[in-house]
Amino acid sequence: MRLLTHNMLSSNIKGVTNGFPLRIEVEKVVEKEVDFNVDFLRNMFAKIEWKALAEASRTMGYSELPDDAESSMLDSDEFLRKFHHALLELHLEEGALVCPETGRKFPVNKGIPNMLLHEDEV
Amino acid sequence: MTGAICTTTCEYGRLHTFGVGLLSFPRPNPIIATKPQPLSGCTRSIPLSTPLTVSYGGRRRMMTMNAAATDTLQKGIAEFYDESSGVWEDIWGDHMHHGFYEPGSDVSLSDHRAAQIRMIEESLRFASLSDDSVQPGNIVDVGCGIGGSSRYLARKYGAKCKGITLSPVQAQRAQELAAAQGLDGKVSFQVADALNQPFPDGEFDLVWSMESGEHMPDKTKFVNELARVTAPGGRIIIVTWCHRDLSSSEESLRPEEQQLLKKICDAYYLPAWCSTADYVKLLQSLSLEDIKAADWSQYVAPFWPAVIKSALSWKGITSLLRSGWKTIRGALVMPLMIEGYKKGLIKFAIITCRKPAS
Repeated sequence: MRLLTHNMLSSNIKGVTNGFPLRIEVEKVVEKEVDFNVDFLRNMFAKIEWKALAEASRTMGYSELPDDAESSMLDSDEFLRKFHHALLELHLEEGALVCPETGRKFPVNKGIPNMLLHEDEV
Repeated sequence: MTGAICTTTCEYGRLHTFGVGLLSFPRPNPIIATKPQPLSGCTRSIPLSTPLTVSYGGRRRMMTMNAAATDTLQKGIAEFYDESSGVWEDIWGDHMHHGFYEPGSDVSLSDHRAAQIRMIEESLRFASLSDDSVQPGNIVDVGCGIGGSSRYLARKYGAKCKGITLSPVQAQRAQELAAAQGLDGKVSFQVADALNQPFPDGEFDLVWSMESGEHMPDKTKFVNELARVTAPGGRIIIVTWCHRDLSSSEESLRPEEQQLLKKICDAYYLPAWCSTADYVKLLQSLSLEDIKAADWSQYVAPFWPAVIKSALSWKGITSLLRSGWKTIRGALVMPLMIEGYKKGLIKFAIITCRKPAS
């Protein structure tokens, strides 16, 4: 699971008012190279919750992203490369996503998050 | 197909060798009602899935199920697809839906993949999405199987696509195929519940449900979630199996119709069916716009006979025998689908709509 995906997942447990962003528990992170595409990154920037991305990236062991970002930074190649790396090249292979309100863990196995709720969470 | 020797590995990992006689499709009743016998040498018996007590086609009741039964159903669905996806992919490829055929045409086995692609294109066209100027950028594939639609749509529109499925095996396979096709950055798959999608409101400009609606035990919740995750101005496309619309004097389907559906439901882990009209009503109740529905049964008629034929091929039979009871039972029930279509009971339906822009 890459952070692009993490940025769009939330906890839907009954009673939870804000299930985003999910905290990350890391067991195994893998880095996979992805082709650098400036247009894609520029396009994605507006749709990304930056703070969630920066925080998640730190948890995954990559602390190069600034805490805040604005669109003018997209002119910087250095910034784009860091953005690219955090968003697309870091994979959580094994670990868990944690509901920020209830602490409930959604397991991530072989890179696939399991977001199924239990009977009593629905 | 006359006699042959087959070897197969049972669910408990033991290799069995036995002769296969002429395979004919038995009368539905005895097979579905019989507990499958363990292959000789196995000491554990394979339990039938827990029968679900649900109502069929009740007009006013909108097909709900308690949490425990839903849990059982979802486990059944996950296991069914965990077990069967490999066999299906091996013979039919990565699209796990009906093909769209010209009525009355003569179809050979090699035409089916093209027909499955045509099904996607015709569905997009029905939803007014084949116009080049309308390009969804963010798509969700609800009940994505091994990701055939997700990868196709991502490629077609250059869009991002997320697929959700109850089956971990499918999610894994879907991701593998995406990576192999260079789509790893564009499509991602999660194990998740269509009735509780792990996405924020208004996330997607195209919400795609290709032959997954029939698995949803609570149609109201299912449609609510589809609408919730649709962005303003976005479109929903539902292609699904329905039963015939009820006439104004009917409260439910006839008993023999309910019986036929029940057998199919047990084999395919389907909860109670609803009609196309029921879906339209649900969409209307959510103030969605531009609601269109059609009966495409005539365009899918060659499909089940073709699936049966492929199951009876040598590759089909050996694959089935190598899979498990769930897959075999699914195969045995296929003639019932044909019967249902012929009787006008089962309809292949498409329902599309648009969320208001604000």
